[in-house]
Amino acid sequence: MITDLLKESLKESRGYSELRYHKRDTFNVSVKDGKIDVLNSGIIEGACARTLIKGSWGFSSTTLLEKDKINQILKDSTSLAEASKPRKKRAVKLASAKPYVDKYETPMKTDPRKSGKEELVRLVIDIDKDVRGFSKKIASDTVTFNIVDDELAFLSSEGAEISQRIVRCYGNVMVIAREEGNIASAYESIGEESGLEVLKKTPLGNVGKTAAERASKLVSAKVAPGGLYHVILENRIVGLLAHEAIGHCAEADLVYSGSFLSDKIGKEVASERITLVDDGRFPGGFGTMKYDDEGVPTQRTVLIDEGVCRSFMHSRETAQHFDVSPTGNARAWNFEYDPIIRMRNTFIEASDYSLEELAEDIKEGFFLKGGLSGQADFNGEFMFGTQEAVKIENGEFTESLRGVTISGNAFEVLKNVDAIGEDFVMRTGMCGKEQVNFAGIGGPHLITKVLMGGMK
Amino acid sequence: MSVKDLTKLAIKYCEKIGVDEAEAFAQNQHIVEVVLERAEIQSERVKTQRGIGIRVIKGKKLGFAYASTLSHATIEEACRNAKSLADVSVANPDWVSLPTPAKLPKPPNGIYDEETASMGGDEVLNIAMRTYDEAKAYDKRVDIDDGKFSLSSTEVAISNSHGVEAEEKNTLLEGFLICVAKEHGEASSMAFEYDVARSMRDFSPERIGRVAAEKALASLKPRSVQSFVGKVILDSDPASEILMYPIISGVNADNVQRGRSLWAGKLGEEVASEKLTVSDDGLFPKGIGSSSFDSEGVPCQKTPVITSGKLKSLLHNTFTANKEGKKSTGNAYRDGYNMLPLISISNVIVEAGDKKLEEMVSDVDKGVVVRRFSGNVRPESGEFSGIAKQANYIEKGEVKYPLKETMISGNAFQAMKDIIEIGSETRPTFLRAYVPPIMIDKVNIISK
Repeated sequence: MITDLLKESLKESRGYSELRYHKRDTFNVSVKDGKIDVLNSGIIEGACARTLIKGSWGFSSTTLLEKDKINQILKDSTSLAEASKPRKKRAVKLASAKPYVDKYETPMKTDPRKSGKEELVRLVIDIDKDVRGFSKKIASDTVTFNIVDDELAFLSSEGAEISQRIVRCYGNVMVIAREEGNIASAYESIGEESGLEVLKKTPLGNVGKTAAERASKLVSAKVAPGGLYHVILENRIVGLLAHEAIGHCAEADLVYSGSFLSDKIGKEVASERITLVDDGRFPGGFGTMKYDDEGVPTQRTVLIDEGVCRSFMHSRETAQHFDVSPTGNARAWNFEYDPIIRMRNTFIEASDYSLEELAEDIKEGFFLKGGLSGQADFNGEFMFGTQEAVKIENGEFTESLRGVTISGNAFEVLKNVDAIGEDFVMRTGMCGKEQVNFAGIGGPHLITKVLMGGMK
Repeated sequence: MSVKDLTKLAIKYCEKIGVDEAEAFAQNQHIVEVVLERAEIQSERVKTQRGIGIRVIKGKKLGFAYASTLSHATIEEACRNAKSLADVSVANPDWVSLPTPAKLPKPPNGIYDEETASMGGDEVLNIAMRTYDEAKAYDKRVDIDDGKFSLSSTEVAISNSHGVEAEEKNTLLEGFLICVAKEHGEASSMAFEYDVARSMRDFSPERIGRVAAEKALASLKPRSVQSFVGKVILDSDPASEILMYPIISGVNADNVQRGRSLWAGKLGEEVASEKLTVSDDGLFPKGIGSSSFDSEGVPCQKTPVITSGKLKSLLHNTFTANKEGKKSTGNAYRDGYNMLPLISISNVIVEAGDKKLEEMVSDVDKGVVVRRFSGNVRPESGEFSGIAKQANYIEKGEVKYPLKETMISGNAFQAMKDIIEIGSETRPTFLRAYVPPIMIDKVNIISK
C-alpha cells in the first residue's frame, strides 16, 4: 500500500513534512464531424514531499514510487528548504489544523470504473450526429467527453492521513456554422464532480443543441456595439463574474500583495443584494473535495455577505498571517505542484426575479449569453468573453448579435447590480493561476452595467 | 534505458499484440522552476516528467493510451489499453497511414545548449533574483507581484511500425515578471514582461525586470479618451495574440478541410495587406519551436504561409496531407506525451519592416499603442475584443498619457488587410511566433 510507504518515510521527517500521492486516470473521447478524433486513456502517477523547516518551504516530486525514491524526495524537500532559507525574507508559519484521519469518495450512482467505454463512445457519436443535423448551416463540430478519476493521499508529520477519490465527468460541444462567406462558432459545456449520471442530469446533447442553435443564429448576425450598457448576465456566465471580478482578489495571497479588497473586511464592496460564496463542498461542484491539499477540511466560505466583505480564502500559511482559521483553499493541480490558494466553487446566491421580470426594467441593453475566457487584475479590473448578445428594447428581447468581451471594475459592477434572478446554475470552469485547476462557477441571471468591447 | 529504446520496445510489443500500425512518442523532461509570489520566492521545484504515448490503428480504427511510469509492464499495459480502445472505436474511412521513413535534416542550430541543460535550482533562482533586483532598483514606486522562471531540458523519441525513428534533445528557458507601480494610493494595471530562449546566453533577466518596471510606471495616472475608430499600434505580444492566432488557425489544414477556416478555397488569393509576409519555419536557428522533425517524426521544413498578402500554403500533418494526396509539411504537434498529434505551427515568423516602435508612433496623428491585451480572440471568425492594458494615447506623433478602462475591438481578418506598418523589432512571443510591432487601422477604441 502506497500510504504505508509514505507513512514509513514520514518517520524520517525533520520540521513539518507532507507527503502526497496522486494517481490520475483519464479517459477522453472526441468526435469531430462524425468521426472519432480522439480516443484516449492514460495514467499519470506520482508522489511529492513538502517540508517546512525554520520558516522555509522545500518541495520535490517523483514518478517513481519505490521506498528509496520516496525517502529521497523527502530528503530533497528538506535540503531545498534549508538551502533557500537565506534568500527568503519572510519566515513562514502555519495556522494550526487538526490532523484528520479520513477517507472520502465522490458520491456516485454510476462509477465510470465499472462501466464499459463502448457505450460512451456511442453516445458521443450520436450527439455529434444530432448536432450536425440541427441545421444545414453547420459546417463542423466537435463533441468531447472526459473522465478524470483522481486518487489522492495526504499524510503529514502531524499525523494526518487522508485518502480521497475525486471523480469528475465533463463534456463540451463546439460548433462552427457557415453561410455566404461568414463563419460563427459557439461552445457549451456540462460537468460535475460525479459519476456518469451527470449525463442523465444534464444531457450533453442539450448543450449541443444550444451551441448548434447559437452558431446557426449568429452566422449572419452583426457584432454587438461598444460602450457602457445595462446588461442581464445569463446564469451560465454569472459565475465568471463571481470568479474573475471578486474571486481572485479575495485569494489571501493576492490580498497580501495589495488587491483592491485588502482593506475591505467589514466594509461594503457590493450592492446589498450580493452574497458571494466560495464553497468547497457544493454537491457536484467541479471544485468540490472534502479536504484540500494541505489536509484542511473544505468549507463554505462567505466572501461577501449582503454586500459586505466578510472573508478571504486561505491556506494554512496565509491564515496564520491574517490570524484567522484556514478555509481549505490550498489546492495543487497534481503531484508535481505545491498547493496554492485556489477557488473551489464560487457563486453568487440566487434571489427571486424571473428572467422576464429582470428584462422589464431595461429600456436599452443586452442579455449576454455563453461564456469565453476571462482574466482579472488585482486592482479589480476584470474581463470575460461572451458569445451572444441579445438586444433588449423596452423590456423585450429582440435581435441576437455576436457577443463581445465585457469589462469593468469589480467594485462598480457589483454596486450596479440592480436585481438578481431566481434560476441558479453551477457550471464547470478551468482556472489558470500559475497551475491550472478545476473550479466550479455559478449564479443566477442578474442585472448590472458593463463596458462592452463591441464595434461601431 | 534511453527514450528511443522505450519507443522501440513499445513498437515491438504492439506488433506482437496484433495491430495494423503503431507509433510511440516518449519524452523525458527535466524541469527546474522558481516561482516568485508576493515578491518572495514562493517555491522551487525540480521535477522530471517522463512518459510515453502509444497510438495504434487497427482496421482504420484509432486508439491512444499513455503512461507516466516507464517500466516494461506499464508500457505494455499502455499498448494493450490503446489496442482495446481501438477495438471499441469506429473506423475512420479517411485514415491512410502513419508516416513512412524520410531522411531527417540536421537538428537546427542552437536548440540544445549543454551549459543551459546543466543549470540547477540555484542558477534558476539566480535568474529570478537578477530579474527581481533590476525591477526593484529601477524605481521605488515599482512593486513586484509575481513571476515564474523555468528551465526545461527535454529528450524526445518517436518510433513507428513503418520504421520511422527519430530522437532529439533541446533546452528552453522561460521567465516572466508581473509588476505594479503605486503612487499616491493608486495602483497601475499589472505590467507583464517575459523572455524565452534556448540558452542562457540569449536570455536577459535584466531586460525582463527593467521593461516590466517601465511598463508599470508608464501606466500610472491613466486618463480616458472618448471612443473613436482609428489606428492602433500593437506591440509584439498583442500583435501575436490578435493577428497570429487567427492566422495559425486559418492555415491549419484540418480546419480548412472541415470548413472551419475562412480561408478554405482561398489558396493563392489575397488575404492580407501586401506588407504582410508570414512563414512557418521548423528549422529556424535557436527557434523556440525548432526541431529536425515534428511530433510524428516527419522532417520539419520552412513553409511560406502568406507571401506579400497572398495565401501560399496550408500547414499539414500526415493525416490531413494523406487526405489530399499531399506531403505533410511537418506540422504535427503535441504538447506532451499524453496527447495525440494535432496540427500547429513550429515557429511562425513575420517578416520585419523598417521602423522602430518610436518611429511608428511618430507617424500617428491620433491613435493608441497597446502593449498588453486582456481579451478574447475568436480564431475562426476573427473577432477580437478586450481591454487595452499598458495602452497609451498617441496624438500628433507623441505618446500622451496612459489609458484608463479602455477596450479595443475589431476583426483580425479585416485588420490583416488594414495593416499600415510592420515594425523592425521582432521578438519571440508565447505562441511560438516571432512578431514585430504591427500598426493596424480602423480599430474600435471604446471607453465609458
